[in-house]
Amino acid sequence: MSNPILSISGLTTSFRTGGQWRDVIRDISFDIGPRETVAVVGESGSGKSVTAMSVMRLLGGNARSSGRIGFDGHDLLSLPVEEMQKIRGNRIGMIFQEPMTSLNPVLKIGDQITEVLMQHRGLDHATATTEAVRLLDKVRIPSARARLGEYPMNFSGGMRQRVVIAIALACEPKLLIADEPTTALDVTIQAQILELIKTLQQEEGMSVLFITHDMGVVAEISDRTVVMYRGDIVETDTTRQIFRKASHPYTRALLSAVPQLGSMAGQPRPLRFPVVDMKTGEIAPVPPTADTVRHDIAPVLKVEHLITRFPVRKGILRRIAGRVHAVEDISFDLHAGETLSLVGESGCGKSTTGRSLIRLEKMTSGRVQIDGKEVAKANQGSLAEIRREAQMIFQDPFESLNPRMRVGQAIAEPMIAHGLASSSEAISRAGTLLEQVGLSAAMADRFPHEFSGGQRQRVCIARALALDPKLIVADESVSALDVSIKAQVINLMLDLQERLGLGYLFISHDMAVVERISHRVAVMYLGEIVEIGPRQSVFENPQHDYTRRLMAAVPIADPARRQTRRIVDSEIKSPFRAADYQPPKRRYREVSPGHFVQLAME
Amino acid sequence: MTRSTQLQASVHEPAGALPPSGISPFWRTIGALLRNPLALTGLIIVGLLVLVALIAPLVAPQNPYDLGQLDIMDGRLAPGSESMTGMTYLLGTDDQGRDLFSAILYGLRTSILVGIVSAAIALLIGAGIGLISAYAGGRTDAVLMRIVDIQLSFPAILIALILLAVLGQGVDKIIIALVVTQWAYYARTVRGSALVESKRAYIDAARSMALPDRRVIIRHILPNCLPPLIVVATMRVAYAIMLEATLSFLGIGLPVTEPSLGLLISNGFDYMMSGDYWISVFPGLTLLLLIVGINLIGDALRDILNPRREG
Repeated sequence: MSNPILSISGLTTSFRTGGQWRDVIRDISFDIGPRETVAVVGESGSGKSVTAMSVMRLLGGNARSSGRIGFDGHDLLSLPVEEMQKIRGNRIGMIFQEPMTSLNPVLKIGDQITEVLMQHRGLDHATATTEAVRLLDKVRIPSARARLGEYPMNFSGGMRQRVVIAIALACEPKLLIADEPTTALDVTIQAQILELIKTLQQEEGMSVLFITHDMGVVAEISDRTVVMYRGDIVETDTTRQIFRKASHPYTRALLSAVPQLGSMAGQPRPLRFPVVDMKTGEIAPVPPTADTVRHDIAPVLKVEHLITRFPVRKGILRRIAGRVHAVEDISFDLHAGETLSLVGESGCGKSTTGRSLIRLEKMTSGRVQIDGKEVAKANQGSLAEIRREAQMIFQDPFESLNPRMRVGQAIAEPMIAHGLASSSEAISRAGTLLEQVGLSAAMADRFPHEFSGGQRQRVCIARALALDPKLIVADESVSALDVSIKAQVINLMLDLQERLGLGYLFISHDMAVVERISHRVAVMYLGEIVEIGPRQSVFENPQHDYTRRLMAAVPIADPARRQTRRIVDSEIKSPFRAADYQPPKRRYREVSPGHFVQLAME
Repeated sequence: MTRSTQLQASVHEPAGALPPSGISPFWRTIGALLRNPLALTGLIIVGLLVLVALIAPLVAPQNPYDLGQLDIMDGRLAPGSESMTGMTYLLGTDDQGRDLFSAILYGLRTSILVGIVSAAIALLIGAGIGLISAYAGGRTDAVLMRIVDIQLSFPAILIALILLAVLGQGVDKIIIALVVTQWAYYARTVRGSALVESKRAYIDAARSMALPDRRVIIRHILPNCLPPLIVVATMRVAYAIMLEATLSFLGIGLPVTEPSLGLLISNGFDYMMSGDYWISVFPGLTLLLLIVGINLIGDALRDILNPRREG
């Protein structure tokens, strides 16, 4: 390789905790050549972000680094602070994960860009403004000049990330460090940002260090890939080679756990993820999934014309200025042993649907029957009975357990409160439930913070099972988990479905996971179901425009199938409507048995 | 047990979980307190003062409330002087001939009792109102919080003065006055943190399991509001003790026959200028020590219990 732009050799970074130095990354070495994109991929705790922060020397006083980080003839680690300041944000640009917090909310967008230009490039105000417009044009923000005077809150997440990229590009950096820049974004927006980074890299001739946990994104963007595991580099190779023939077992495990859109073609039923032996790297054969759907009995969940709207009030008189039509006239049913997935992007109303079903959110109108019982009309007593049949698993396993309650107690509590068991019975049953989700009964005495994320989600599943429900609403339940943990939790959910005949309403934005787990799929957009049907039919023969767009946006974990997309500047629209808005009556067309698609309005 | 088949757990979990210890948050907090030198100092000071206050009748050379043991002829003796009967007044005597050392021990009893009892009652009332306010929301919340606002807009000392003028003197009366002036602080603190907690997913989880409201409030919301509540309570105990001392100093708190620290300071105040400094200074120092001790603990608790400092 010709002279690398960035050359890291023997980098070790340690943190001091409780008076001891603990290595977080050990002896990391890799190079980034000119105009090259290198992805550092790994799961949480692998040290990938610490690597990026070490390069920028942005770690706090309780961290120290040794080794050599060569950049443009300097060793960044031994550079004086003032010199480093000149390189940071000038020769090396950086973008972060959270576009919501990396912009100052009280400064206008234009001022935030011109500030950097005047500081680092010494431009005067007029030239800086012209340059700012050029930069916003460059990151494809429509009508850039008009938007200079707006505040970050007027921009959507994707647009904000573009502004952050514009600021990073302001000083024409040689190297751009992107730390999970698309993780917080919806998949169609993520596709746009990835495309933008690729285009800009060619236009500007930059090198890119791309930090991510997502193998799909890696395949999409990087030339070479560095795989990290618990602070060590386990493998470095060209991306093509890594995907074709990974040599390290961990890389293979990581790849096998990545759900690949389209991998389920011809498979009518859900499928477990293959389990990889971490030592040998051998992949165990996937056991076939049994047919669990009980069409012979009445559906466990029946939803008819469900509508949930939130009034938005304004002024001193708190008059209703408009409504958010979060869920707009949706109907479906779900059988025992069946998984129906609700997919869509943020704001499409999929979570509100789940919450309305068990009355965590008050529905505006419609009928919901769980196991034949009317939810909307239920009083306190019968609501308790209904909630026993339908349990919910939430997205964030860190948030959804009471931090001050031992997990055994947390699992036993619903049984005691519903009078289903005495406290000693409940505690012993909590132990059994923990074993059922792959933990040990002895862990009942621990507090939630003593578990990892995946274990915590298992605890939440055990708690949901405590009341012997027939239906589980899983709201983004695996989204916050690392890929390998995600695969394990999904395998667990499929096991439990086989054994207990549970019906799942699986709410997710992740098309690839949905493809793996569901029997049927409903695609939601702006509060409405635009397409619903058997999974195989919807994924192999998508009919609605939005479904197609959603599927095209999913990064494909195969560099050979890398595609070039148009940069579409579409944003997800808002379901906010005026107070007197009358939603149109939607009509559906049956494509194949059970596969319905919403007809476009004429 | 119908479903007890055990699952094969191929658990390879990345780092992130703390090592399992099974230690409850309560003991972790205590442990952290003991490791903090300032907090430890505070704990030792407060612990010693509370101990001597508790065992005052056993260690005090004299019962300052028993007028029969006092001798007016021993009035205003300097520290270290001997009485007619041959006992040494370690810290001197006041104008009534009370042994100041004994009077301070007994005064501490009163001060600490008044401080803790009033803070405890105010905490119960305040926390209850705060929880109801946060959980009920809407109109109930608005009404309760406006009452809190009104309460907080009057200076505490003014309310206490008026109340005591109406109720008269006595330990029970001053506790009532202190509770009335203090509950609003607890109510506001608890409401704030209860509002934050009730938005969190584990409360949704509890509700989706159809747990009764009372159980959700007491078992889920309340324990998670405790950290800020404990900090406020510690600081408020110190404040209540000071307020009681102030009221007694002004002569409307406790009767002269049962002197608290404030009353002792007040008694000596008249003689400060004539050189009999000890009557005011020693009770004053004791009060200072007690307040500083409590505040040291409170400060440390605030740091330890602040979730943003974890990690």
